[in-house]
Amino acid sequence: MSKVIVVTSGKGGVGKTTSSAAFSAGLAARGHKTAVIDFDVGLRNLDLIMGVERRVIYDFVNVINGEATLKQALIKDKRVDNLYILPASQTRDKDALTKEGVESIINELKEDGFEYIVCDSPAGIEKGAFMALYFADEAIVVTNPEVSSVRDSDRILGILQSRSKVAEEGGAVKEHLLITRYSPDRVEGGDMLGMDDIVEILSIPLIGVIPESGSVLQASNSGNPVIMDKESAAGQAYEDVVSRFLGEEIPLRFTHVEQKKKGFFQKIFG
Amino acid sequence: MNLKGEMSMLNVLHLEHTDVNAIAIELEKKRDEMPQFFSQSPIVVDCSLLGEAVIDFDFTALKNALINLGFIPVGVRNHPATLNASLANAGWAVMRESLKPSAKETESSTSEEEDSSNHDAVESQDPQPAPIAVKFKSLTVDRPVRSGQQIYAADSDMTVLAQTSAGSEIMADGSIHVYGPLRGRVLAGAMGNESARIFCQSLQAELIAIAGRYQLLDESDTDLIGKPAMIKLSGEKLIIEPLSA
Repeated sequence: MSKVIVVTSGKGGVGKTTSSAAFSAGLAARGHKTAVIDFDVGLRNLDLIMGVERRVIYDFVNVINGEATLKQALIKDKRVDNLYILPASQTRDKDALTKEGVESIINELKEDGFEYIVCDSPAGIEKGAFMALYFADEAIVVTNPEVSSVRDSDRILGILQSRSKVAEEGGAVKEHLLITRYSPDRVEGGDMLGMDDIVEILSIPLIGVIPESGSVLQASNSGNPVIMDKESAAGQAYEDVVSRFLGEEIPLRFTHVEQKKKGFFQKIFG
Repeated sequence: MNLKGEMSMLNVLHLEHTDVNAIAIELEKKRDEMPQFFSQSPIVVDCSLLGEAVIDFDFTALKNALINLGFIPVGVRNHPATLNASLANAGWAVMRESLKPSAKETESSTSEEEDSSNHDAVESQDPQPAPIAVKFKSLTVDRPVRSGQQIYAADSDMTVLAQTSAGSEIMADGSIHVYGPLRGRVLAGAMGNESARIFCQSLQAELIAIAGRYQLLDESDTDLIGKPAMIKLSGEKLIIEPLSA
């Protein structure tokens, strides 16, 4: 059974593409055949973050228009087996996406034995975002700890549960909340929304909290999904997300201010 | 233009036998008792009492008889589906079955009408007004109402079992009950029902309104924010009261 998972948020710049890259790389690294599709036609970024921008020959829109086959357009990742990237077109716009075209690509991926099809949604609630979520079975809603991001996530949850294919057929898309760019010390200082508040406002299950970390920017710039950086807190947090998605129950990490390491004299004198 | 499914009053002719001429005579008698009421009035034919005989019934003849008597034949209901095609050919609409009152109710209303009108009238073919079943509607929402979503309960109360988010809007012509946190806009008595009320477990709404009188919650001096509350209209003023047993 293949699953279609949309990574979405409503608001831009919250970490959808970073999360899509890390999540799909994490699934593939555990042996699951995974495809990640960039729905941000016209503003493609996923290929950059995955480090395959110089290997793009054909794209998503070419396949929809029948100008290339899916096999020609899928880029096989060189670091992780089982990971394939379908890049967006940079020269077209979102109107190039059609429901029929997207559906046929998703069906072809399913027939090719892909277990997970991760759809990286563009920001907004317009056509691109709608296309990305329409065929989803599950959704990872990426939210930053700030009010406008939470509000937009709420909005996208409404659209998911009313306009997706599953919803139209009377079902419900399974929802997961992913909080990114979380700074426990700023939450403690009162200038950032706490994760409990976000969960209360959105009332969907939390799949993970990714701490604000310089390694994310570094990973993006070098074209390596941050999950491959096993040393970084963000990479480890994404590993936890993948584990939880696959059904493991593991406690949250990096959500509290770490105890300052005690100095030499403090150790002696308590 | 605007095409909507709505209920209207229709007279229903309950057929008890298949003799079109006899039906026409009985109907004429009825019509002449209340000519203003029946003149050019739409009429629906119900076949439920005909049983098997309906197969041989001449609907074209009935239609012509009805037109001659000044009725406007509309449709046929409670007939076997095998007749659908021939009815359509004869120019009849095929009506979906409606909820009918129990046999007992039909009986009593029939006898009442006979008492008040004409004892000689044959008991059949009374073109009674269609029994409009007064149905109490209610809308239950069991999922969160998200920002940007609008839910309207027409002619009805609304019960929301989950939260409503900031930036959402729920409206009902009747009262509204919300069992999760109420955070969006909430408008009860949307068509002007001043006795509609709002009940909630945790009042955090952005805007409250009953029958067009609205108020931003931030501009009210209530100390019930986040608490169980009931909102009602008193004169022109919205009153927020604690909701307690």
